[in-house]
Amino acid sequence: MSTQRVLIVVPAYNEGRIIGRVVKEIKKLYPDFDLVVVNDGSGDGTLAEAEAEGAKVISLPYNLGIGGAVQTAFKIARDGNYDATVQIDGDAQHDPTYLMGVLTPVLKGELDLCIGSRFLAAHSVFRSTFARRIGIRFFSFLLSSMTGIHLTDPTSGFRATGKNLIRSFANYYPVDFPEPEAIKIATRLKAKIGEVPVNMRKRLGGISSIRYWNTAYYMIKVTLAILIDTLKTGEKISDER
Amino acid sequence: MNVKLFVLAITLIVLFLVIDQIRRQKMTFKYSLAWFFISLVVLFSAVFEKSLYRVAFLAGFKLPSNFIFFLLFVFFILLSLFLTLYINEQNSRSETLAQTVAILEFKLKELENRIKRKIG
Repeated sequence: MSTQRVLIVVPAYNEGRIIGRVVKEIKKLYPDFDLVVVNDGSGDGTLAEAEAEGAKVISLPYNLGIGGAVQTAFKIARDGNYDATVQIDGDAQHDPTYLMGVLTPVLKGELDLCIGSRFLAAHSVFRSTFARRIGIRFFSFLLSSMTGIHLTDPTSGFRATGKNLIRSFANYYPVDFPEPEAIKIATRLKAKIGEVPVNMRKRLGGISSIRYWNTAYYMIKVTLAILIDTLKTGEKISDER
Repeated sequence: MNVKLFVLAITLIVLFLVIDQIRRQKMTFKYSLAWFFISLVVLFSAVFEKSLYRVAFLAGFKLPSNFIFFLLFVFFILLSLFLTLYINEQNSRSETLAQTVAILEFKLKELENRIKRKIG
């Protein structure tokens, strides 16, 4: 297992105040894994702060949104022939001590996509707002009725991706609010998907990509995207070059 | 002013503008086709108005003017649909470009660091 190459992906948009601490924490816990920060066209010191802690940083020339940033990392992972990527947000919301738990099923080959769920943990400190919990429930229901796979936290961005799925996601990944749609795409590609418990902390910096009137757009966009994805013809991930 | 002359004049101006933009290489032929086509249709129906009336009545319109408005709506809906598609194509291209540039920059930086370490 130690011979497998893992790329830790930290997407960050204007996280200059916190990104240094996040990088430091991850590097200390997982010195054997490569770490890359995807700076999504930040206008603050995200790039400098991350590099000051010794992180490798991919800087996008302008803000693409979380999906575009994550896809960039998938392309890097594909080109670098990595066995797995694990995505952990740059705002310190995801507790990196749980990273190995998310990654292990993918490294063992049990799963192609492993999602860290904040609702499976027995004593999670994280309390989502009521509206957000309703939204997450709705996507759980939608995904399980479309795919038969029941996930408690389909919007979680704390997730590990295996080699075959990395190649598919490098070719196509949803641009904005990608998390639930990516699960739908993965099921269409006959990927093995599962969940493990993680702890999520209170957001220390930055702002959620989902808020206020964006919520309506988020709900409609993701619902439509999932429904339309069912119209796409499925190929298997192993079929792709 | 005679309506027929008015329509002809406007259409000829549009046609002239389109051709001039192609000449100045500000519009490619691909995107001017719709304008060419519609200008020719308007020219034709202005000159042979009887044929326009006949088609309008065949299509079930009581007034030929309603038929013209209907055609205009259809034209603009199709045009804006194609423009939306075109914008989307441009968006996804520029996204791919941005990613490619960022990845190239990243690999270049890696390479520089590796060379520096070897020399220094």
